[in-house]
Amino acid sequence: MASKETVVLAYSGGLDTSCILVWLIEQGYKVIGFLADVGQNEDFEVAREKGLRLGAEKMYIEDCKKEFVEEFIWPAVQANARYEDRYLMGTALARPCIARKLIEVAKKENATYISHGATGKGNDQVRFEIACYALFPTIKVIAPWRMENFLSRFAGRNDLLQYAAEKNIPVSATKSKSWSMDANLMHISFEGGELENPATAADSDMYMMTVSPEKAPDKADHISIDFKGGFPVKVNTDDGRVLEQPLQLFVYLNEIAGKHGIGRIDIVENRFIGMKSRGCYETPAGTVLQAAHIDLELLTMDREVLKLKQYLKREFETQVYNGMWYSPECEYTRACIALSQNVVDGTVHLKLYKGGVYVMSRESPRSLYNQDLVSMEVEGDHNAADATGFIRLNALRSREFQRVKRS
Amino acid sequence: RMASKETVVLAYSGGLDTSCILVWLIEQGYKVIGFLADVGQNEDFEVAREKGLRLGAEKMYIEDCKKEFVEEFIWPAVQANAKYEDRYLMGTALARPCIARKLIEVAKKENATYISHGATGKGNDQVRFEIACYALFPTIKVIAPWRMENFLSRFAGRNDLLQYAAEKNIPVSATKSKSWSMDANLMHISFEGGELENPAIAADSDMYMMTVSPEKAPDKADHISIEFKGGFPVKVKTHDGRVLEESLQLFVYLNEIAGKHGIGRIDIVENRFIGMKSRGCYETPAGTVLQEAHIDLELLTMDREVLKLKQYLKREFETQVYNGMWYSPECEYTRACIALSQNVVDGTVHLKLYKGGVYVMSRESPRSLYNQDLVSMEVEGDHNAADATGFIRLNALRSREFQRVKRS
Repeated sequence: MASKETVVLAYSGGLDTSCILVWLIEQGYKVIGFLADVGQNEDFEVAREKGLRLGAEKMYIEDCKKEFVEEFIWPAVQANARYEDRYLMGTALARPCIARKLIEVAKKENATYISHGATGKGNDQVRFEIACYALFPTIKVIAPWRMENFLSRFAGRNDLLQYAAEKNIPVSATKSKSWSMDANLMHISFEGGELENPATAADSDMYMMTVSPEKAPDKADHISIDFKGGFPVKVNTDDGRVLEQPLQLFVYLNEIAGKHGIGRIDIVENRFIGMKSRGCYETPAGTVLQAAHIDLELLTMDREVLKLKQYLKREFETQVYNGMWYSPECEYTRACIALSQNVVDGTVHLKLYKGGVYVMSRESPRSLYNQDLVSMEVEGDHNAADATGFIRLNALRSREFQRVKRS
Repeated sequence: RMASKETVVLAYSGGLDTSCILVWLIEQGYKVIGFLADVGQNEDFEVAREKGLRLGAEKMYIEDCKKEFVEEFIWPAVQANAKYEDRYLMGTALARPCIARKLIEVAKKENATYISHGATGKGNDQVRFEIACYALFPTIKVIAPWRMENFLSRFAGRNDLLQYAAEKNIPVSATKSKSWSMDANLMHISFEGGELENPAIAADSDMYMMTVSPEKAPDKADHISIEFKGGFPVKVKTHDGRVLEESLQLFVYLNEIAGKHGIGRIDIVENRFIGMKSRGCYETPAGTVLQEAHIDLELLTMDREVLKLKQYLKREFETQVYNGMWYSPECEYTRACIALSQNVVDGTVHLKLYKGGVYVMSRESPRSLYNQDLVSMEVEGDHNAADATGFIRLNALRSREFQRVKRS
């Protein structure tokens, strides 16, 4: 009997990966289950028990929340990352965090393979696998949803349910929703099912991290966020507390922004694989942080440095979305963006109300704002006549161009 | 012998500054033609006309530029999704080339030697006006009183202007002037200066005029649809069942409905073209709604990589417009390139407006690139799942090699 090869399976506790776990054992693999706590609302001990009972040799449950915030979300805050100007990338940012821990386990367990339950049409298969290959170049991947022998056996949910019944896999009794969700500390994403028609509005009761703006309080809340080097370092809460630990302040921002219905979007986006997909997202803390961080950058960062950083931001968005976190270009881009952030110190005061984030005021010890220089009340250190020469020379090319155009 | 007077066409607003400048220019020996463009500001134009003539202007031109403002300046910005430094929708910057073009028509018609304006020496608007004027009339000369030593030394501040107004019988509005300055047109109102000059102090919540505060907006949302063709808005279905198809008319409606729901307010610090940072508040109701809708429709209809190229052009366009370079070769080229991308942007977007927020609910297009079977998790569609294996392996190649060397 050949010794069994080891597969580390990214296990979620749900129907798909439970069936995959059992199926992998059936295929003759030794299966190690891995579940990363990235802030999803999950009963991890129930998942651990379930995995072991289904036949996993071991179950690893790893708390990755703190590193998710500090090593993945924080760089995205520095970048003001927003894919195609709308998606704050809660799922894309979690994948490299999860993959890193998954590979640590794979190396520790001398695994030959990693496996996952991501579909063959999505971004997540790409994000997981590219990260895994980068971190463990010789690793091999078993992606059941891309395998002919798995697909022909499990054409859809009913086949999985039947297999679950045969193999005594416990299935949640609640009627499954029409759509799929991916939840973590930063967001919940909703795709598939009835959402697959972009011409149909989403069910307004679908969201879970945020109340609807209609049901949000009639009274606004005011908070402040302190940044240092472009990272959030302190939050003054609506009720006078001071929070200074990254995970703690991020959780608070989710709560307060969620309470005010902040951060919902319904979009069509371009997947890396090439097709368009429709998704709904709620990213409460991320939305508040981006509004604050952008505002502080405009106070403290030089205009032309900002332009260069904006170019890098665009690159970073695509790199992260496509799963290229551990690529050379993404590591370089993050380093360059980080270099721009040394000036981004200060405090932003925000009002949160009925789905909206409003910057009320801001201050910084590194502000480039010079009130006397810009003021209409005093001359300041400004020579008005300079503008004449500035304007004349900036107009030169246009004068010449229009002169020739009219001739 | 009396030398014949040279003609100045003055961009006249009817306010204190340009009224004093009008009289001062006459005092300096110029023949002054007044020019006032109606770009949708809430102004009594006939009162301004009478005032200008009474103060000594040889003629007063009042030109209705609203339709061309919407169709030739705002619409290209809608196509571009222009948003300077990711926040400012540029209501003032877009109006300047519209106003300047008409101003120069008048200057040419009147054989003027000069144009003049009341823009300050620290702002963007002096740059925007003058660069546009030089481009459209290269030999024109500019009198910019707020940059002239002899004007500045005489009029150090508002009190000097008020005193001059009293001496010269220039009517001054009796209402106490606000601490801040405003620029209003069809697209927005901007607020700067005065108490707003300290970015660490929140703005007065009663300051805004085109929008109600979100707190005072209705407790019930309104639903509207906007139809685009070639990237331009062509039809709006209103909240109460009307259909609007004329550009100016639908834009005015969008201002009303968005203003009613408190949509489009921002409070920002921005980088001026002259170089310093300034703090400004803006309310851009219709522009905010149109941008949300247009972006959404582009994602439905435009290829991903064409969009990326267009995003690059968008960034260039934003800076060009903000800096007053509308009539520059690069801006004309950029607008033409952006317009080329818009042929696919046909369709309808359905929006909910509620308490300061614009929410896209759904969208459809005869040119949609969205293929439900291809993306669906319910059917295979025209997709070979095994393709992803090769796609992933080869996209991972560089990262594998890089990390391999990094670890060695």
